[in-house]
Amino acid sequence: MHNEYMPYLSEIKEVIKHTDIEYTFRITYEGAVKPGQFFEVSIPKYGEAPISVSGINNGIIDLTIRRVGKVTNEVFERYVGDKLFLRGPYGNGFDVENYKNKELVIVAGGTGLSPVRGVVEYFSEHPQEVKKLILIAGFKTPKDILFLEDFERWNKKAEVILTVDQAEEDSTYQVGLVTEYIPKLSLKNVEEAVAVVVGPPAMMRFTTQKLLKTGFLEQNIWISQERKMSCGIGKCGHCKVNDTYICLDGPVFNFTKGR
Amino acid sequence: MDINTKLLKKNAFRVTKKRGMTASRVRVPGGHLEAIYLPLLQNIAETYGNGTVHITSRQGFEIPGIAFENMPQVNELLQPIIEGLDINQQVPGKGYSAAGTRNVVACIGNRVCPYACYDTTGFAQRIEKAIFPNDLHFKIALTGCPNDCAKVRMHDFGIMGMTEPQYNIDRCVNCGACVKVCKKKSVGALQEVNYKVKRNADKCIGCGECVLACPTRAWTRGKQKLYRFTLFGRTGKKNPRLGEDFIKWVDEDSIIKIILNTYDYVDSYIDPAAPGGKEHIGYIVDRTGFEEFLTWAMKDVQLPEIAEVYTPIYWKGVKY
Amino acid sequence: MGFYFTKDGMNAVLKRLMDEYLVYAPIRMIGGGAFSDTNSVRYGQISKISDIIFNQKSEYSFKEILLPLSQTLFFFTEDQVKEAEAPKKGAIIFLRSCDLHAVKRLDEIYLRNGFEDYYYKRLRENVKFILLGCQNPFENCFCVDMQTNTIDTYDASIEQAGDGYVMDNHCNAWESLLSSHCLNQQDVQPSHVTETGVHVKIPDGLSIDAANSKMWDEYDDRCINCGRCNFVCPTCTCFTMQDIFYTDNGKVGERRRVAASCMVDGYTDVAGGGSYRKKNGQRMRFRVLHKVYDYKERFGYHMCVGCGRCDDICPEYISFSHCINKLESVVKEVGDNNA
Ligand SMILES: Cc1cc2nc3c(=O)[nH]c(=O)nc-3n(C[C@H](O)[C@H](O)[C@H](O)COP(=O)(O)OP(=O)(O)OC[C@H]3O[C@@H](n4cnc5c(N)ncnc54)[C@H](O)[C@@H]3O)c2cc1C
Ligand code: SF4
Ligand code: SF4
Ligand code: FES
Repeated sequence: MHNEYMPYLSEIKEVIKHTDIEYTFRITYEGAVKPGQFFEVSIPKYGEAPISVSGINNGIIDLTIRRVGKVTNEVFERYVGDKLFLRGPYGNGFDVENYKNKELVIVAGGTGLSPVRGVVEYFSEHPQEVKKLILIAGFKTPKDILFLEDFERWNKKAEVILTVDQAEEDSTYQVGLVTEYIPKLSLKNVEEAVAVVVGPPAMMRFTTQKLLKTGFLEQNIWISQERKMSCGIGKCGHCKVNDTYICLDGPVFNFTKGR
Repeated sequence: MDINTKLLKKNAFRVTKKRGMTASRVRVPGGHLEAIYLPLLQNIAETYGNGTVHITSRQGFEIPGIAFENMPQVNELLQPIIEGLDINQQVPGKGYSAAGTRNVVACIGNRVCPYACYDTTGFAQRIEKAIFPNDLHFKIALTGCPNDCAKVRMHDFGIMGMTEPQYNIDRCVNCGACVKVCKKKSVGALQEVNYKVKRNADKCIGCGECVLACPTRAWTRGKQKLYRFTLFGRTGKKNPRLGEDFIKWVDEDSIIKIILNTYDYVDSYIDPAAPGGKEHIGYIVDRTGFEEFLTWAMKDVQLPEIAEVYTPIYWKGVKY
Repeated sequence: MGFYFTKDGMNAVLKRLMDEYLVYAPIRMIGGGAFSDTNSVRYGQISKISDIIFNQKSEYSFKEILLPLSQTLFFFTEDQVKEAEAPKKGAIIFLRSCDLHAVKRLDEIYLRNGFEDYYYKRLRENVKFILLGCQNPFENCFCVDMQTNTIDTYDASIEQAGDGYVMDNHCNAWESLLSSHCLNQQDVQPSHVTETGVHVKIPDGLSIDAANSKMWDEYDDRCINCGRCNFVCPTCTCFTMQDIFYTDNGKVGERRRVAASCMVDGYTDVAGGGSYRKKNGQRMRFRVLHKVYDYKERFGYHMCVGCGRCDDICPEYISFSHCINKLESVVKEVGDNNA
C-alpha cells in the first residue's frame, strides 16, 4: 500500500538569491512534473508548505520560495548539499496544449511568476508552437524582481514587458501596474488569444477584469489559485471552494470555472 | 409584658422596632426549597404576621408583624417546614433550637448553573446537618465556582467549587478555545506548547472554563470534588475584610471537620464577656495567634494529596 | 442468518471477538459531560454487551475511530522518517444506520477523492460494522428525509429483545461462532425508524448563488465559531498537519494530523495574514451548503446523513435542520435578486 504522506529526500544543488526573502532552490527530482504543479516541501519539526515548481530541467527542479514563516524560514537556513523533504508533484499544472498555435499573453504579479515560468520557458524554447508570446511581469519595486537573468533571454524570443509599481526616479524600469499594458497589446485576434494570469488575489481580479474588457473570452483565460493547503491531496479540506478542491482540480483553472 | 429576649432570639425570633411585635426567621439551608413550603409561609404571614414576607440577605425568610404572644402558634406552624427542610431540632413543635449559627448560604449551584462545579445546596445541607443548632455566631457560604456569586469571602468560612481539569492529549486538536478563554475570562494558566496545551497548575484556579470551552472533550472535569476554602471574611463595624485563602483543592470531609474543629476552638477561647456572646472568630485568632488556631482546626484532618495549605494567613480589609 | 442470544451468550461471543478485534460502541462516560455531575455517551471500547448504550445517541460519532482526532503519521529524525505503527488488531464498531451511511462519505474522501489515504485505509480495511437497530428516533434526528434510515451493508446487526439480543449476521466468518452461542436461530430484520420529529426539505434549484443570501448574516453574531458542530459530525473529515519536536530530545519529532473545523479561526489563513470567510455567517454558509449542496454536486449524493448531532451539541442553540429549512426562501430571495 502506498503512503502518499511519506516524504522523500531531495538534495539542494544550487541556491539563487533574487531578493532578501526570495530564493530559488535548485533541487534533485526524478520524475514527471508540469509547470503550475506544486510540491509539499517539508523540514521535519517545522512542517510542510506547498511550493510551485518554477523550473524543470533533467532531474532538477526549481522551487522559488518566499520566506514568510515557519517552514520557509527554515528552508532559507539550508544550502547546497543540504536536503529537503518533498512529496508531490500535486495539482493539475498548466497544460501547454491549451496555448499552442495561439497568441499567448502571460500576466504575472510578483512570485506569481514562478508557477508560470515553466510555460514561458517552454514557449521561448519552442517559439514555433505559439503565434505570439507576450509576457507582462509586474513587481513592487526593482528590488523585488525575480529571474532577472531570464528576462534578458526571454526578451529575445518574446515580447516582454517588465514593470514595477514604484521606482526611484532615475530607474531604467517601466513604472506602472500590469493592467495598464493590457489594452495596448497588439494582438491580431483578441477573441482567439489566450491569457494566463498568476499573482496575488487582487492583481488577478483586476487583471482578468481588464482582459475581459479588452475582448478576451472567459474560456480563453487561465488562472492559478492559491489557498491554504494542508495535505495537497484532497483530504484535509482546507483548500476547498464550493465543490472544487484547489489541490486536486487546480491550482490552474480555466476562468469559466476558477472565477 | 415580661419576655426573655435572650430566649426569644435563640428561638429565631427578633426584637423589633415596634414594642410587643416580633419577626420569625426561617432558615433555608442552601437557599433552595420545594415550592410546597411557600403556602405554609404565606399562611403564617397572613394568620399571625402582617401579610408580608421578607427575603433575608442570608437566603431565609423573615415574617414580620407577629405579636409576642403568638410565638408558640407560629412555632407550631413552622414545624412542617423545619421537618421538611430537615433542620436539626431539640424540641419538636418548639421552633428553631438556635439562631447564632446562621443559615448556610449557597448560590444556585450545579442543579441549574453550567459553571458550578458541584451541588452547592446539597453540600450546604450537609454542613447544616453537621453544625446546627449552635449559638456561636458562625457564617458559612458556598459558591459553585470561582465566579463567587455567593460572595463567600465575606463569610467566616467560604467554600468555592473548583474542578481539576483533566487533559486528554489525544483529543486535543489545538483549536485554541481553552487558551483563549482562560486568558480572557480567567487567570491565563494555559499555554500552547508544541500544538498542545500546557496547564500551569499553580496558576490554575479550577474555574472549569477550559472544560466548558473545549469542543472535543479533551478537557473534562476531575472525578474528585475539590474546593477552595477561605477563612474569616466579615462585614461589620470594626474591621470589615475579605476572607483569605486557607486551602486550595480541599475535599468536603476536611471542610466539615475543620468547621467543627473551629467550633471547639472558639468555645475554648471566646471572650466570655463579649456583648451578646458574639465575638468574631478573627479577633479570637488575633488573640491566640494563627498557629494555635491551625493546631485546633487541623486536628484529625486528612487532607487530600493535592491540597495546598496557605499559612500563615494575613488579612487586610478596612480598619476604623 | 438471524440469531437470538441471552446476555451470557452475547458476552461469550464478544469475548471471542475481542481476541481478534478492538470493540467500540457508544458507552456512558461517567462525569464525561462538560458540566459537573453530567455524563456523556461517546465512543469507547467495551468489554461486555451491557456497556453499550442502546437508548441514547452518542454525542460524538464513531468517526474518531477511523479518523482519530489526533493521529501520528510518522516519526522523524533530521533526515529519516519512520511510519507510525498501525493497531495490531482490527476493530468492530457498533453504529446506527445514519452513521453507517456516513462511512460511505468518509470513504469517498479518504479512499477516492484524489490519492488513497494510507492511514485511513489501513484502519478501514480491518473494520467490521455492527448495526444498532433504531426502534425510535432521537431528538433532532432527520435520517428519513436524508434517506439514511435504512441500510443493509452491515456485517451484523444487533438490537435488544427482552432480556436478550437479536442479531442478523452478514459476515460468513462469524457464522459458526454465532450459531454456537445463540439460544436459537430466527429471522431478524434490524429495526429502522420511518418517521422523525424533525423534517428537512432541501429545495430543488439550490445553487451556489444561495451564498449571496442575507440569511447567513444572522449567524455572524449568533455563532461563536467553536467548531463543535464539525467535531461531532460523522461526515466532517478535515484535518490540519502539525510537525512537532519532542521537548526532551530536539532532534526527534513527529508529524501528525489533527481534526480541523471550517468554523474555527485559522482554517483558511494564508501567508501575509489573508483569510477567507472571516464572518461566522459565511462559515455557516460554507458548512451548510457543503453538507446539503456542493458535496452532492461533486459526488452525486448529500453529505449530511441527518444524525442531528450538530443540533444536539450547539451551545448557541443554532439548529442546522432549521437552517436547511430556510433554504427554500433563500432560493426565492436570490432568484428575485437575479431577476
Ligand atoms: C498551490 C500553492 C503554491 C504555492 N507556491 C508557492 C511558491 O512557489 N513559492 C512560495 O514562496 N510560496 C508558495 N505558496 C505559498 C506557501 O505555501 C506559503 O507561503 C507557505 O505555506 C508558508 O509556510 P510557512 O510555514 O513558511 O509559514 P507559516 O509559519 O505556516 O505561516 C505564515 C503564514 O502563511 C500562512 N500559510 C500557512 N500555510 C499556508 C499555505 N499552505 N498556503 C498559503 N499560506 C499559508 C499562515 O497562515 C501564515 O499566515 C504556495 C501556496 C500554494 C497553496
Ligand atoms: S454553529 Fe454552534 S456548534 Fe457550530 S461553530 Fe457555531 S456556535 Fe459552535
Ligand atoms: S451535518 Fe449535522 S445532521 Fe448532518 S451528518 Fe453532520 S452532524 Fe449529522
Ligand atoms: S489541500 Fe487538503 S484537500 Fe486540498
